[in-house]
Amino acid sequence: MYRIRNLSIVLFLCFSLLTGCFGYPRILDYPVEGGDRGLNSLSAELDPQISGHYIVFTSDRQGSQNVYLFDIIKRNLVDLPGLNSLDTLFSHPSISDNGQWIVFAAIYQGRSDIYLYNRETRQSENLTAHLASEVRNPTISANGSKIAFEYSNNGHWDVLVYDTLQKQFHKIGEQ
Amino acid sequence: MSSPLLNSRYGSAQPAFSGNGKFLAFVSHGKDRQSLLVYDWTKREFIPTPGLNQPNTIAESPSLSYSGRYICYLTSQQDQLVIALYDRATETSQIITPGYRSWIRHPYINPDGRYIVFESASRGEWDIEVLDRGPTVELDIPNGSIVNVPN
Repeated sequence: MYRIRNLSIVLFLCFSLLTGCFGYPRILDYPVEGGDRGLNSLSAELDPQISGHYIVFTSDRQGSQNVYLFDIIKRNLVDLPGLNSLDTLFSHPSISDNGQWIVFAAIYQGRSDIYLYNRETRQSENLTAHLASEVRNPTISANGSKIAFEYSNNGHWDVLVYDTLQKQFHKIGEQ
Repeated sequence: MSSPLLNSRYGSAQPAFSGNGKFLAFVSHGKDRQSLLVYDWTKREFIPTPGLNQPNTIAESPSLSYSGRYICYLTSQQDQLVIALYDRATETSQIITPGYRSWIRHPYINPDGRYIVFESASRGEWDIEVLDRGPTVELDIPNGSIVNVPN
């Protein structure tokens, strides 16, 4: 009896996860593709975030770590003109669900900052130019109203929030 | 709930807002342990998530659905990292990657609560996987029918 139950669990897992044809939750098929236009490539893909039908992530598929945007309905990459540049290391992008705003961390000439890219104007704004702290791991709320990220504070990381409507920074509990 | 952890000496990390910008999830570091907390940005108080933090089990890399109903996070089960989903409507957690055998990092839930992306080492280097919870899940969408979220 125990063996039969075990077998049924194994079969369930096989059908629900491995074959992907029956049942949920299941892994969708985004195979590594030879070209550079898919979600995955032969290089590393890191820091995925999903909002609406967009996935943003970083990849070093073209030699340096850049930000990419993938449309899960059209199943192809969307261009981000003016966002990536050769002399900058990009990480941890996050997108609003209307697809207009992408926040990301970038290290340029040894300094880390949080940038907000507007897909309509194709411009990036440095939100942390006046902050002396190191910063990393930004995320934006799906409605675009809040950005949270980590900043170095007396030897450890703490969370700082940027309100995109008020254009002000807040610590938790001090807003 | 009071907020003794606001000025933690040991810091906090991995922030993520709910889609509506109202709730902030993050990992708060203590002297001996860390906790996954959810803060109500409007009411300026932590919200209770009974059962989310378990002794001797990590809970990290949080992300929230639109109204904060679903909390997606990385946890451990039998020496393996797995992705769990905490539903604030039922105050229960469920592992949503049972049987997934490779190393997993950085899960992130779509605001509607249906899709979850994460990093997987299954093909020998980090790739992105997309998990579909299916068409029958209760979606967490603005102006939808899902309003049964406890405060």
